[in-house]
Amino acid sequence: MLRGTHASLEYHQLLKQAKRLAVDGDPLKLAILADVSTQHMIPLLRVLFAREQLRVEIYEAGYDTVLLESLNASSDLYAFAPQVVVILQSTFKLRGSFPDARAEKATFAARKGAEIEAVWEAIQARLSVPVIQSTFVVPYERPFGHYGLKAAETFQSAVMELNRELVQRAKRFASVFLCDLDYLAAWRGRSSFLDEKLWILAKSLCALERLPDVAQSLVDITIAGLGRSAKCVVVDLDNTLWGGVVGDDGIEGLALGELDEGGVFRGFQLFLRELVQRGILLAVCSKNDEALARRVFREHPGMVLKEADVAAWAVNWDSKAANIVAIREKLHIGYDAMVFLDDHPFERNLVRQMLPQVIVPELPEDPALYVRTLSELNLFEAGSQSGLDTQRTQLYHDQDRREQEAKNFKDVQAYLQSLQTVATVDAFHAGNLGRVAQLIQRSNQFNLTTARYSEAQCDAMGRDLKNYYPLTVSVQDRFGDFGLVCVVILHRLERTLEIDTFLMSCRVLQRGVEQFVMNKIVDYARRGGYEQILGRYRPTAKNVRVKDFFRQFGFGQSAILGDGETHWVLDPAAYTPVPVWIDERAPAPAHDAISA
Amino acid sequence: MTFPEIHTRLTTVFRDVFDNPKLEITETTSAQDIEEWDSLSHINLIVAAEKAFATSFTVKEVKALNTVGDLMRLIALRFK
Repeated sequence: MLRGTHASLEYHQLLKQAKRLAVDGDPLKLAILADVSTQHMIPLLRVLFAREQLRVEIYEAGYDTVLLESLNASSDLYAFAPQVVVILQSTFKLRGSFPDARAEKATFAARKGAEIEAVWEAIQARLSVPVIQSTFVVPYERPFGHYGLKAAETFQSAVMELNRELVQRAKRFASVFLCDLDYLAAWRGRSSFLDEKLWILAKSLCALERLPDVAQSLVDITIAGLGRSAKCVVVDLDNTLWGGVVGDDGIEGLALGELDEGGVFRGFQLFLRELVQRGILLAVCSKNDEALARRVFREHPGMVLKEADVAAWAVNWDSKAANIVAIREKLHIGYDAMVFLDDHPFERNLVRQMLPQVIVPELPEDPALYVRTLSELNLFEAGSQSGLDTQRTQLYHDQDRREQEAKNFKDVQAYLQSLQTVATVDAFHAGNLGRVAQLIQRSNQFNLTTARYSEAQCDAMGRDLKNYYPLTVSVQDRFGDFGLVCVVILHRLERTLEIDTFLMSCRVLQRGVEQFVMNKIVDYARRGGYEQILGRYRPTAKNVRVKDFFRQFGFGQSAILGDGETHWVLDPAAYTPVPVWIDERAPAPAHDAISA
Repeated sequence: MTFPEIHTRLTTVFRDVFDNPKLEITETTSAQDIEEWDSLSHINLIVAAEKAFATSFTVKEVKALNTVGDLMRLIALRFK
């Protein structure tokens, strides 16, 4: 996502910044295959990744070697062992292969689509890493004019068809991500994106000044795949969500609805509602009277957003920074996953100053431009989609009811029993891989090793039961369903069972789920005859709360590595199961389970 | 636009593209004289010059450029 304004994507400025880069840390290895020259792209990628605190090591394949590099198992691409593969393809190059014969024109898109899919397959067969494939920019020339949309044999219609092919085919690959070049080109106009002269002179993908848009999109897609994406929008109310100040103008006096200025705010709410429906949490942060603010949500006929769409309310007279801290605690997300939207520059600057990790876009003066500005920044790039996304807000409402109930109990044990928690332990299978990968990419706080496996890698481990024993845990109680909240990957070594991955959503902390899972792990180790269980803790900026996780279960620390990683061992025979108030339920039979 | 005016403005473009605030160019300066002047920066240079002088050059014109003097004469033709 773009953290500043679009002006920070000026090509020549970025080139200069590329010469003064200083980023440390392990490199992210990225390979670029292209049928265009990528030299001009490389420095841009370095700068834009550095803005996300990532150092990239880039393998630039030779010009027009997409097929050669991907199909040849001993190519330099595979020797490089990239963590991300980018494939950039040009409409100009494609034009050169558009056939003369009419019959061939009709099948061109399908053939080209199959060829590109074969490249993805070849890469996936050798590397379990995300592949980012560009779409093709629809050319602007139209030999039939508008009628060309109905004519099958033009290059324009073939490119449009090919883009549809790529979408359909990419849906079948969890690890193939499309970078929609045609969208980027159309944003400012294809005539300013496509540059025939630079194609001829330098085999450039597009006009140089538009190249940063492409590079930024590649960064967005890559980091979303690493789990760094916005999860929550924090919005102000007066003059942000509706026109006017409810405390002064009253509910009837607000500009909100179909007419005039009201339409501007209604349009913005429609945009936010779509985000909520796709799983972004909405939090309200406003200096207002909460009862009055909620009445607007309930009673104003122009409100698109309803009370139930809001996952957290911070409506009071405290500072916005303090309220964002409170929202964060309630929602259990990182500051860097929060986007703060407020029409008031003072509030925006205050939040930037006090909470620098929070994403605070510079909003235009005119609220009619909010949706456009936020769309241009691409704040909500996703690395995956799961069924849970759409229920995320409901989960927090369930939690509110639990907390209300908890106040009635004096003793934690009695409260936990009253929740009637049920856990389901299951393997990895096609039905849950998307959610598994999402948790692996997103979980930060309760994550012992923070190994970011891609969906393809999870799939591979789920099938390799000789070496791995992966399991998932889904939890529900009488208030609602948390869904799949815990992923454990056990690595079978000879006499040792290694806990390669143990992560959990913070939503289910302190109700015995982690104890339940550890009981399962030890039980499994005992039945498998393992002599010891090896647990590893790899420290990150965010997982300090599980630093001593293994100690509470009687593991002894066996090693401290140079980078702070600690190793812990346990003799399964010496373990006493921890009492929990959780009932286990067998998983529903999965139709296409990888393992029983 | 006079030749000295073009020279001044083009100097700014060169300094910017090659990221060297002290860079001096003359009519005879060519890619041999500036270490970083390769095919990659050549394109950056052309695009930056087009922007600075709010004009655009054809492929043929770009291919015929060998020295700074060639570029200055090309720009001068635009502002005759």
